[in-house]
Parts: sequence; structure tokens; C-alpha cells
Amino acid sequence: MAMSRDEVFQKVEAVLVDALGVDEDEVTEDATLTGDLGAESIDFLDIVFRLEKSFEIKIARGELFPDDILNNPDYVENGRMTSTGLQQLKKSMPHADFTEFEKDPSVSRMPDLFTVKAIVDYLGLKLEQSGKTAGAAS
Amino acid sequence: MRWLWIDTFTEFEPGKRAVAIKNVTRSEDHLHDHFPGYPVMPATLMIEGMAQTAGILVGQARGFREKVLLAKIRIARFDDYCVPGDRIRYEAVIDVIDDAAASTHGTVYKNDTAIGRVDLMFSHADKATADLDMPEHNFVFTDQFMDLLTAYNIQRSGGEGIS
Amino acid sequence: MRFELIDRIVELEPGSRIVATKAVSLAEEYLADHFPTFPILPGVLMLQALVDSATWLVRRTSDFAHSMILLKEARNVTYKNFVKPGQQMRIEVGWRGAEGAEVDFSGSGHCGSVEVVKARFRLRQFNLADRDPRLASVDRRVIQAARTRFDLLCQKYRQGEKAAG
Repeated sequence: MAMSRDEVFQKVEAVLVDALGVDEDEVTEDATLTGDLGAESIDFLDIVFRLEKSFEIKIARGELFPDDILNNPDYVENGRMTSTGLQQLKKSMPHADFTEFEKDPSVSRMPDLFTVKAIVDYLGLKLEQSGKTAGAAS
Repeated sequence: MRWLWIDTFTEFEPGKRAVAIKNVTRSEDHLHDHFPGYPVMPATLMIEGMAQTAGILVGQARGFREKVLLAKIRIARFDDYCVPGDRIRYEAVIDVIDDAAASTHGTVYKNDTAIGRVDLMFSHADKATADLDMPEHNFVFTDQFMDLLTAYNIQRSGGEGIS
Repeated sequence: MRFELIDRIVELEPGSRIVATKAVSLAEEYLADHFPTFPILPGVLMLQALVDSATWLVRRTSDFAHSMILLKEARNVTYKNFVKPGQQMRIEVGWRGAEGAEVDFSGSGHCGSVEVVKARFRLRQFNLADRDPRLASVDRRVIQAARTRFDLLCQKYRQGEKAAG
């Protein structure tokens, strides 16, 4: 059953409305989970559990929100990502847009990477891999 | 008073589901403020009853290795209230457990009629909340909670169930 | 154990918002069990402090029209930090809207600048006499007790009001 990007967005929107108690119109592509939608760390876990259920997929911990990278001394120095760290982060988050973050890769700015768009793109990639979207190779 | 909001487990399926009951009695102190003249079991204490039922279920599934702390009430909804003489039953079911957290859903019954729903998230405090200031040892699973499992012959450590 | 989760009402605007405080003392009985080696205010009591505050806002706004004010629903109640003996939690609750006998609120608790809890919830209000007219006298008793309690909680507020007027 193929799922369009729009359908993916609708399901993500529903999950965020339920998990964060925000209104539908607050869930825009560019909205950040923490800054704009008020998500706490437990909410990140709630969102992952709900996405797993909604899309019937398994999301490994750290795959959607790679917080483990922050705890690695090779990747973080004086509150900023090292170049190795940034590389590693980009590798584990192909779904995120690093243009703004790269200008000032402070750890405190990392939550800005977690946008609604990043989640929708992540799911797009994931579903493609498992052959569930229009983008899947036939 | 004791901070124990369930009287006993009536069913316990390790790693899956648990049922506990609580009898509402007129001699309970807190009812005399809620409300003076007409005692009603506060909904928040029914949420706690579910949290204790679900929290022990989750803890046991992981061998009581982690501190299981209530992190989020996804939803708690009550369509009726309970008064002295009523028996409350909490049925808790595990949705997901992993290293960082657990999610449960549950139904609250008043004398066998469903009156509420309580869906919770617990964090496994050591892993998920490294920035909180708290002791190393597991302060959550005290004897009074563990004693509740004795009736069910449930192992107190080296837990069975899912990991 | 007393079941009164706020110590003082600091500000109140009928139909709009309420600010209250709750201090945590090691003398509170439930702390002996929650937990013996790490006493912290139970999460549900943090929620109850928000509920109590909203309840007083409803009572004052409706001029104590109803005896029973109960929590109907709480959603996305998130716990962010502990509240320990010696700390004081400042509770702020905003009135989001009413639908018949039910009122929606959003609320949060802070210890200093640190947010410890936030929630959205709904209360419903009614009188016992609605279902059983014989209970009208019970409603009156509950309401009278509420008025007395409210005066107690507001003492500072009242003094401020007198000073201004």
C-alpha cells in the first residue's frame, strides 16, 4: 500500500497533536519540536512510540533523534560539535537539514534540527526502505 | 497515612498485564477534605492507583533494575466518581518497554463498571534523565511495593518477562 | 493526611487565571513512603495542586454555585523535575474556555525559574441535588466549607485588595 508524502504528513500531524497537545495549524513543516511545539524529552519518546504504532514500523532508539551523539566526548567539545561529530550527526540524520545548524554547531542548538519536516522525511526514507511508499523501487 | 493506593493485585501476567483493586473507605483521612460533608475519591489518587499498578508491572518486567518514575500522563479521563463503599479496579497493560521508557494503557472500573481510562509513560530514570539530581540506588521499589507481589509468588529480582 | 494541595492564593482574576503556591515540607506524611530515601512530591499531587488552583478559580468565578468540582480529564501532563522538601512550587493556571458545566484549563508549576510540571485539564462542576434533591443540604454544607477555606487561602490577596481600594 503506497503512501504519499502528504499522507505521511497527515499521520505525523495527528501524532504530534496527540502527543504534544498542540493545534493542527501549529504543525507546520518548519516547526521545531522543542522551540515551536514545546516538546520535552519524554515527549520525544512518546512521539517515537506513537509513530511506531501509526506506521507499523520499528524505529531503533537514536535513529530518529540521535541524542547518544551528544554524550560522546569525541563528537562534542566545549558545547560545540567537533567536525567528526558533525559528520557523524549528518550520517545518522540524513533526513535533517543542516544548513542553519552548521553556521553555529552548538549543542544547545541541536534541538532546532528536529523539525516536523525532518520527521516526515525520515519516515519517507524508512517506508521506502521497507517498500511502503510511492518511492519504492518496483 | 501510607502512600499506597492499591490494596492487592488480583491478576499479574509478567511483562503483559496486571489488575489491582482498591477499596474506598470512609476512614481515609484525605476524603475529609475532598469534600467536607461529602467524601469523593479524588481522580488524581485514582491516577496514582493506576500508576502503582502499571509501575510495578513495568518494574517487574525489567527485574526492578531501573528506577521507574512517572514521566507523563498521556491521558486520564473519568466519567464517574467513587465514594466510600466502592471498589476500584485498575487494569494496566504494557504497550512498549525499552531501555529509556515504558508506555502503558489502562482502564479504571468502579464496582465492575468501566469509568475511566489512564494511559501513562514511565521513564527509566537512570538512562533517560541523566541531568536530574537523584541518588544512585533504586529508591522506587521499596518493601511496601514489593510485598504486594508476594501474594502472586512473583520474583522480587532477576525478573522474568520481557527485557 | 490533609488533602489540600495549595497553601496560598497569590493572584486571581475571575474567569481568567489564578496563581497559587505550595511549599513542600518533610513533615508531609506521604513523603515517608515517596520515597523513604528520596522524598519528593508525588507527580499526581503536583497535578492535584494545579487542579485545586483551578477549582478555586471556578468556585470564585461562579460565586460558589456548585459543591462538586471534579477532574474530568487530564492530558499531556508532563513531569520535568522533582520538587523536594524545602522548595516552594508556584502554580499558574489559565482558564481556556467553558463548555456547559465543563471548563478547560492549562497550568504549570515552577520552582524558581525551573518548570516542574505542565498540564492541560478539564473540570466539571455540579450539585448533588441535580440528581437527588434530598442532597441539597449536603451541597450547602460543602459550599459553606469551601467559602471558609477560600477566605483562609486568600488572606494576603484580600489585604492587597483593601490597600488598593
